[in-house]
Amino acid sequence: MTQSFKTGGRIQGHSANLLLLAGFAIVAFVLPIALSGNRYLAFVAGVTMIHILWACGMNLLYGYTGLMPLMFAGIAGISAYTVVDLTANGWSFWLALPVGALAASITGTVLGLPSLRLKGFYFTLCSLVIQTVMTLGFIYFSGLTNGDTGFSQIPLPSLRGEPLSSLSYDLVLAAAAVLGVMVLIAIMRSTLGRRLIAIREDDELAAMLGINVTGYKMIAFFVGSLFAGVGGALYAPYIGFISPRSFDVLISMNIWLMVAFGGRGTIWGPVLGAALLAPLSFFLQEYYTIKDVLYGALIIAVIVLMPAGLLGSLGRTPRLPAAEIDAPVPRRSPK
Amino acid sequence: MTEVLLEAKAVSKRFGGVVALKNIDLVQHRGETLGMIGPNGSGKTTFVNLISGHTRLSSGSIAFDHVSLAGKNPSQVAKAGLTRTYQAVRVFGELTVRENVATALVDARVRLGAEAVDELADWLRISHRYEARAGGLTLMEQRQLELLMRLVQQPKLMMLDEPVGGLSSSEVRTMIGLLSELKSRCTVFVIEHTMKVIRELADKVVVLMAGEKLAEGSPTDILADQRVIDRYLGTADA
Ligand SMILES: Nc1ncnc2c1ncn2[C@@H]1O[C@H](COP(=O)(O)OP(=O)(O)O)[C@@H](O)[C@H]1O
Ligand SMILES: [Mg+2]
Repeated sequence: MTQSFKTGGRIQGHSANLLLLAGFAIVAFVLPIALSGNRYLAFVAGVTMIHILWACGMNLLYGYTGLMPLMFAGIAGISAYTVVDLTANGWSFWLALPVGALAASITGTVLGLPSLRLKGFYFTLCSLVIQTVMTLGFIYFSGLTNGDTGFSQIPLPSLRGEPLSSLSYDLVLAAAAVLGVMVLIAIMRSTLGRRLIAIREDDELAAMLGINVTGYKMIAFFVGSLFAGVGGALYAPYIGFISPRSFDVLISMNIWLMVAFGGRGTIWGPVLGAALLAPLSFFLQEYYTIKDVLYGALIIAVIVLMPAGLLGSLGRTPRLPAAEIDAPVPRRSPK
Repeated sequence: MTEVLLEAKAVSKRFGGVVALKNIDLVQHRGETLGMIGPNGSGKTTFVNLISGHTRLSSGSIAFDHVSLAGKNPSQVAKAGLTRTYQAVRVFGELTVRENVATALVDARVRLGAEAVDELADWLRISHRYEARAGGLTLMEQRQLELLMRLVQQPKLMMLDEPVGGLSSSEVRTMIGLLSELKSRCTVFVIEHTMKVIRELADKVVVLMAGEKLAEGSPTDILADQRVIDRYLGTADA
């Protein structure tokens, strides 16, 4: 009856992931072409791709590391504003994008530092405050952000002097989403993924096993914020308009909801969540009162009825404990 | 057996007004099994917490393998080759046994091959449970998994905080058997609040009473020590 440590395990799960990845890539790249006749639907698909990328980053932090950063949208905003400012000053978008994303990563890593001390619910509260301050910052530093008015008519990037066509940019967004999922899969297959899950499950035990909890939480924030930043950089020229409201706490909540609704801590749950919820907000745009009520109801439903989310609930066993926003533990001493 | 592995000098710990440990001196040699006993609340767990970096010393010093542990956090202590278990068993409950072990391997001081892991898992009689969710295991199995997760890291010293707590009497027998074999794999420090386990395992016993070291010696000496009998072994708690 004895088994071997080496065999079995996750190999099966991985080939399934690769198959799903191939399927997702095909859909992501075919969709813009198939929808190229209908600009509105193609646009909805493009925005969904950005949200899939964001959901992957939020999933890394919330789903896999157990940190709920409600300043996620603010971090994306750092990158979006950076890119818009730099391109307005003559930078190429393709050079501004990595710079903006890096700015977001560094900001996110610094703003994530409170998570080293504050656990669960307390960090979430703290991140809410950080998000609020960031939104105020976007309004206040109007020299860089144009304040409440924001920037409009942000042009699509160009390649070799030629402005990109909408279709080409749609394909860029598809590539970004596919790449985001690929990176997440790779991380979760690596030892980094193991460490993050260990930190989520019990950071004190993780430390006891030699895992540098502080360092890896910071790495999680760096990578997760990179997702936020790349998404923010791509978002600005696509929508053509950014303002402090583009990156406020409601956007953070929306991204969180996509992850939680789809299934945090699974690769595909948040992708599904984003694919369902991002278009929904477009189709409900005209009924915005209904939309807000629906979102509120959905948040409650997710928390109360299906804490593991769509895919998490369908999966073999519910893999995650019911409450991620854990009860305030006053620095538990190991007993 | 002459080389000093763990040395605590004048270790004290206060929690606000409560003095949990007062001036504890203690030496453990490599290969020597040290038992620590004392009634509940006498400071045994606090002592392990201080060494493993979970709690900061109020005063005193601790050296492990000739290196000071001052200011080291738990992951640095683990990297130095010192590991511990918890009085209340602690595993990653939502992960499988295999995933638990894989997590223990990620930042292990020495990276063990899969065959060596299997050998340890077979010895601990847990290898048939690799696919089980750790939270669904029995307490005994969780304790076995806990030992496996420590052992795959090839520690120099393993500190066990009441390893038989909560087990049935037959499981206690099995665990004592495992622990006496464990002694050939690494140096063992074991806390218990009864003499039963300590007597079978320990080469040297330290008795804690209300945060102070009451006595130290071989198990037979301790069992014969009149002060220990009067103040601890004679009481119902032991
Ligand atoms: N984190 C803590 N904060 C305050 N007091 C503590 C803490 N940990 C332990 N103590 C106190 O220190 C004393 C020793 O406790 P402990 O080390 O758990 O004893 P033992 O393991 O021998 O039962 C007890 O009085 C306990 O209440
Ligand atoms: Mg104790």
